[in-house]
Amino acid sequence: MDKLYAPLVAALEGTVTTPEQFTAEQLTNYGRIFHWTPRFIVSPASQKDVATTIAFCREHKLSLSNRGSAHSQSQLAINRNGVLLEMKSMDRMGPVDETRMTVDVEPGVVWRDLTHHLKRWGLVPRVLTNNLGVTVGGTLSMAGIGVASFKYGSQGDNVVEMDVVTGAGEVETCSPERNPELFWGAIAGLGQFGIITRARLQLRRMKPMSRTYYLLYDDLRVFLEDARRSMDSGRWDHLESWGAPCAQGTRPVAGKRQVFAKWFYPFHLTVEYDEGAPPDDRALLEGLRPYDNLYTDDCPTIDFLERMVPVFELWKKAGTWEFMHPWIECILPWETAADCIEQVLQDTPPGIQVGGHVLLWPAKGTTSRSKNFMVPPGDNLVGFGLLPAVPQRYWEEMRERFENVSRLMVMFGAKRYLSGWVNFTPEEWKEHYGTRWGEMVALKRRYDPDHILNPGFLPFEA
Amino acid sequence: MPLTFGTDAWANALVAEINGSSEYKNAAAKWGDGFNGNILLVFDADAALPSTMGLLILLDRGTCRGARFIDGPSHAEAGFGLRAPFGVWRDVLEGKSLAATAILTGRMKVDGEKMTLLKHTAAHRALIACAAALDTEFPGG
Repeated sequence: MDKLYAPLVAALEGTVTTPEQFTAEQLTNYGRIFHWTPRFIVSPASQKDVATTIAFCREHKLSLSNRGSAHSQSQLAINRNGVLLEMKSMDRMGPVDETRMTVDVEPGVVWRDLTHHLKRWGLVPRVLTNNLGVTVGGTLSMAGIGVASFKYGSQGDNVVEMDVVTGAGEVETCSPERNPELFWGAIAGLGQFGIITRARLQLRRMKPMSRTYYLLYDDLRVFLEDARRSMDSGRWDHLESWGAPCAQGTRPVAGKRQVFAKWFYPFHLTVEYDEGAPPDDRALLEGLRPYDNLYTDDCPTIDFLERMVPVFELWKKAGTWEFMHPWIECILPWETAADCIEQVLQDTPPGIQVGGHVLLWPAKGTTSRSKNFMVPPGDNLVGFGLLPAVPQRYWEEMRERFENVSRLMVMFGAKRYLSGWVNFTPEEWKEHYGTRWGEMVALKRRYDPDHILNPGFLPFEA
Repeated sequence: MPLTFGTDAWANALVAEINGSSEYKNAAAKWGDGFNGNILLVFDADAALPSTMGLLILLDRGTCRGARFIDGPSHAEAGFGLRAPFGVWRDVLEGKSLAATAILTGRMKVDGEKMTLLKHTAAHRALIACAAALDTEFPGG
């Protein structure tokens, strides 16, 4: 038995497991690109357990990584030879303040559970990610973007207050007003400065019904212009879009024939409404220029929020959930977005739809105050994500091409969204963060002086 | 029978390969439309190549009007330049590495408006594929 096992167990209220008890799932994340084995996995019962574990790691010179639903695809939510904190054990939902429209939650709460919990008050988090199976602590540590981000920014922008256990072992309460340096360090901070143990989330009133218009575009530039108009119109509650390939046969690419596609752009525009007061379709869609208007869907808003659940279920049933997921998401400057998207999609085979997809999301550069969530300058931005599911046997063959997609995005002025597969060099990391990098180094020194938290991704060691 | 790299015969074969490529014709249909699309590939001297040489390729909207090797790293007719040590080029032309990777990682330098080049990645890939398709005898064996 590991000599540190007994003292660790004795110090904690939560549970501790050792390698012979680990499941394969605990050794990797959704990316399935990295497989690391920690020395212990701790499921903390409380904030005190988190603080105790951090103190234990400092004392014994162990690294510590935290994990929610482990949807990351790089060297996050996994740990090598240290302690992995399974935060899903901290999943209590606290009181709802109906006046201020806030709720206190622990970091292991899954957004889908929170959404259902809040239904009885007619409240909902302002921003929800497409995948509701991820945790509050996980997405706040990443930024958390969704189909309402063009109005409300990231999920991290909608946190009123947090408790954070720093890498120095201190329990601190922070907010945009109180200890803002730690607050904005922890938001989109990739768990580098502390572990979030409580978050007070800003909510909004939800109307019970939603109507979604399924528009289809055959011209990227027309779509982008309509997306910008839609963001600016103030008519919509949610905007979501995709790239959808229509296979056209094969053509030579670097001398070898490959399947290629004509790309279309579905654009789903959603407005919430009260029962008996449906929206005026003509007024809402006025001025938009789709290639086709395919479908209009009325459903309870709670169903709309869960619209992606069947897609993820399908991926699980089909087995592609177990594939590698080197997702490459970025936020592009408006000015270069169309050129970049066209260059990437011309080489993207339609098979990406098997267990994956291509995301596009119109975004505003003015809605986020987050310091660590890097976006290009400009009022209007375009999110673009290539989200493939790659059978393990194809990984080495395809890896360089994926790396080049990321490099191309960056050359077009994009900032990568960091939950995906990011394979930056130390120089590329510094370029990503720009002037913020120096501040992050200082935050690391102050809040995680022993560099124990979530090592292996950001190059603080370099 | 392999063609010797750096000769007129090799350059002429490249012109024929480009003009016979449906991939290039489609991918480069807009390359050179409203700007000078001539590209100078610069092969910097290294252990295998005694002196720096260039290959000027005259390109205009999916067709190649000619190609010739020149001495040195620049030419007045070139609108764009791609420059790397000969060893890097050889790996690309032998299919051991991607030109895109060399450009995107800075191992191959771009001379000219980089954004224009980035907007035509398929055209350059097709161009390189044409060069790589030639049965070539390289300097240095």
